[in-house]
Amino acid sequence: MPVTSAPSFDIERVLASIDTMAAQKPVAAQVVSAANSDDASARELSRILASDVALAGRVMKLANSAYFGMRGRVTSLQFAVTVVGFTTVRTMATVALTDLDDESRLPEDFWTVTTTLALTASTLATRFGERPADALCLGLLAQLGAALLHHDDPEGYGELVAAQPTAAGRRAAEVRRYGISAVRLTAVALETWGFPHSMVAPMQRMDDPASVEGGLLRVCFEAAARLTQPGYEPLPIGPLSCGRLRDEDLPPVLYQVRAEAEELRRAILGD
Amino acid sequence: MTAAPGAPLEECVPADIVSSVFHSASVSDSMAILVAETAGGDPRLCWGNEGAVGLLGYALEDLRRLPVRQLFPTLRGGELTLLLRRARSARMSLPVRTASGALVESAVVASPSPSGRMWTLRVTPAEANASERALRATADAHERRFTTLTERSPVPTLLSEQGMRLSHVNDAFCGLVGLQAEQLLGTGWMACVHPDDLDELIERVADALEGDDAETRTRLVRDDGTVRTTVIRFAHVFTPGIGAGFVGTIEDVTERLAFEERLAHQATHDPLTGLPNRTRLADHVAARFVPGASGLACLFLDLDNFKVVNDSLGHAAGDELLTEVAARLRATVRPGDLVARFGGDEFVVICEDVTEPDAVALAERIVGDLARPVRLGGVDIRPHASVGVTVQTADHVAAEELVRDCDIAMYQAKAGGKARITVLDQQGRAEARDKLRLVADLRDAIDRRDIGFSYQPIFAVRGGRPVAVESLARWTHPQRGPVSPATFVALAEESGLIGGLGALVLDESCRQLAEWDRLLGAAAPARVNVNVSALQLDEQLPEAVAATLHRHALAPARLQVEITESALMKDPLLARRVLDELRALGAELAIDDFGTGYSSLAYLRHLPVDCLKVDRSFVAELADGHAEIATAVIALARSLDLCTVAEGVETDAQAAELDRLGVDFLQGFALARPMGGGDAGIFFADRLVAG
Repeated sequence: MPVTSAPSFDIERVLASIDTMAAQKPVAAQVVSAANSDDASARELSRILASDVALAGRVMKLANSAYFGMRGRVTSLQFAVTVVGFTTVRTMATVALTDLDDESRLPEDFWTVTTTLALTASTLATRFGERPADALCLGLLAQLGAALLHHDDPEGYGELVAAQPTAAGRRAAEVRRYGISAVRLTAVALETWGFPHSMVAPMQRMDDPASVEGGLLRVCFEAAARLTQPGYEPLPIGPLSCGRLRDEDLPPVLYQVRAEAEELRRAILGD
Repeated sequence: MTAAPGAPLEECVPADIVSSVFHSASVSDSMAILVAETAGGDPRLCWGNEGAVGLLGYALEDLRRLPVRQLFPTLRGGELTLLLRRARSARMSLPVRTASGALVESAVVASPSPSGRMWTLRVTPAEANASERALRATADAHERRFTTLTERSPVPTLLSEQGMRLSHVNDAFCGLVGLQAEQLLGTGWMACVHPDDLDELIERVADALEGDDAETRTRLVRDDGTVRTTVIRFAHVFTPGIGAGFVGTIEDVTERLAFEERLAHQATHDPLTGLPNRTRLADHVAARFVPGASGLACLFLDLDNFKVVNDSLGHAAGDELLTEVAARLRATVRPGDLVARFGGDEFVVICEDVTEPDAVALAERIVGDLARPVRLGGVDIRPHASVGVTVQTADHVAAEELVRDCDIAMYQAKAGGKARITVLDQQGRAEARDKLRLVADLRDAIDRRDIGFSYQPIFAVRGGRPVAVESLARWTHPQRGPVSPATFVALAEESGLIGGLGALVLDESCRQLAEWDRLLGAAAPARVNVNVSALQLDEQLPEAVAATLHRHALAPARLQVEITESALMKDPLLARRVLDELRALGAELAIDDFGTGYSSLAYLRHLPVDCLKVDRSFVAELADGHAEIATAVIALARSLDLCTVAEGVETDAQAAELDRLGVDFLQGFALARPMGGGDAGIFFADRLVAG
């Protein structure tokens, strides 16, 4: 299926648009920058968060979601920040900052895929030597680049996605059309904003089949495809994960992820 | 967000400063600086300082015109523009390719010039961050050590990095719940927590996340459905950049609790029947007793003729009967009623919310059910019980009074002829309470040595002189006046006070004798006779006698122990043993009230006694001309080479007749009445003078 010819895609402009968004959401921007600092405290973060009622509400909702298992016990914002962790708070702020919470501006199934990525990453993190907390955020933000590309070129990107069922194929098509893959674009954005290397590296290494770090995200995208794309032809898990997982390891994870994804989506978006 | 490029400062900085900064940058070998430009196509390098030349290994000439893309092989396609942004600086961690083709992991910061066509690139090899990497390596090593420690630890351990989410569980925890680590990580482990304990557990986790240490008892449900009771202790853990988590260590206390429970059960249950025991009964009643309320009832059962079963069919059959009775009781009472074994063949049933007729109806049902035959040792037995019934009234002010009244009712039932049901009435309760008060007063009197003593002289027939005294205890109740010895000795025997009373009698008698010795010298009585109750006749008696004699520095022969014939017949073997010991000690022994019991003469012959006391009833018969029994007893004693004492001599004629019959000693009103210690002393002193 032919893809419409690439518009004059200007990556610089795409990246700059994020800065514009940041200016419109100063509280979220402040949270991103405060959570980054070494002496970040839950008290300070919650103090800043409190000025953005919507964002604070989402953090509270997330802290009380099944994912963290606290069953409604989290009643203060500061405790919510403590429970979800600073990286997660920063991730939530980044979601708000980049309008990822506005589903009307996102590719179809964006949050279904995203929560699947996040929960799969969190569940499998330790198999890849990553922290589950970081991995959850990695998954939540992995599609940031895709959102930006979609936003900049809705029609073209939609066709591209439709034509490429596999994650690897889509990344190659993205590079052909935009000069950069969506995941790579995400990595650049996160690196620019000072997210920890442990979150950026798996994105940067995704295309290196020998990289274990990249393997986590490759498996996550495979899981998302299996759960969200009807008729998807599964790829063998062994090579994708550099041998960290076997084919039989994934189905139980998928089962669990599917059960939890919708609640996580509601918690993140504050629905 | 990213720092905006600095405002152009060149305009305000003097040219010589600009050239000075440029010079120091160009010769710096600690910092690699490159300048790149786009000139119509791909960006190329146009300048590099000495540090860049050293780092990259290119000659400066070769550096110039080198495509930037060649330096950063991982930036494919259009990705170079991510680094060389036109409006703002960008920072990336990526490998830089040197002239030799080697890749150097570096942090690269690219700052655009205001024109947007030229960039200054600062390249910092990652090696420069050695201290950072060393810190990371140390942290990783710590984490690995911690992981190894917990992994090998036999203590089940949990590690959370966020909320209830576990990032790590050790093998010991997996073993405890019977699941794989993968099933437990994240919030998976919460499924193992007993649903009723989960809220409390989360509360404690919340405490730990907020910085406190916390501890809770939690039941964990294993994959096979069995439940382990554990104590989980939480400690706060803070990971910079991540947030708060906890380390949880688990102690499996299932066995310990089961053991404690077993001990508690043993402490409160009868091992034979499995029924609650007296302790449990007391707790049960106390927990339900509300003064002034009603509806709490107590049934006290005592099996009739249980001793017969035990003695004739053996203890095993007796135990079997008790077990069967327990089972029948349990089956007969209502759900929620308590059946307890009070002791021996006594059982108690406690019911709530019943009236007296209800309780009596239950008692009747129980008696009826118990009376069904039980086959024991090939014999059909129909167990019958006497049942006392009490329902709480306003008179009951304490829980134990209910059971006590019920016990009294049971005794009334038994006294009424066995296999009866008796409800304790007002009069019965009043009498029983009166007796209880008297027991309490007697206990006080014994404790305060408030028992009086009188001494009745005993005369030798030959010479007519007083040679000994019989010590007689007297109790004068402060309100009721004198209480007969028959009453208070029996009361002491029933209520467990006989030991204390006996010890007091022995001690006071010896003390008095020692005092007479001091005051009267040779005129003092040669001996004191002390009565010993059947219940005192045990292994401890010889020791107590010896200690008392020793305390008062008296020779053992100064004491004669009087024991009734019936006391000797209660447990003949034990009596024989005790008497032998007393005799070995040197004390004299007399059989009191001789002739009133049914002693076997053959048995009597083997007892180490010195003296027989002819009962006062036989002495009284002398006045009616019936001297047969007194004659026989005295003759018997003589043939056994025992001396005789005749009690209750009230007339001179009796004394003369007894003398004629050959009695050795006389005691009675005709000769001397019982008197206080002081009067008795004067009595003996006078007789010495008279003699």
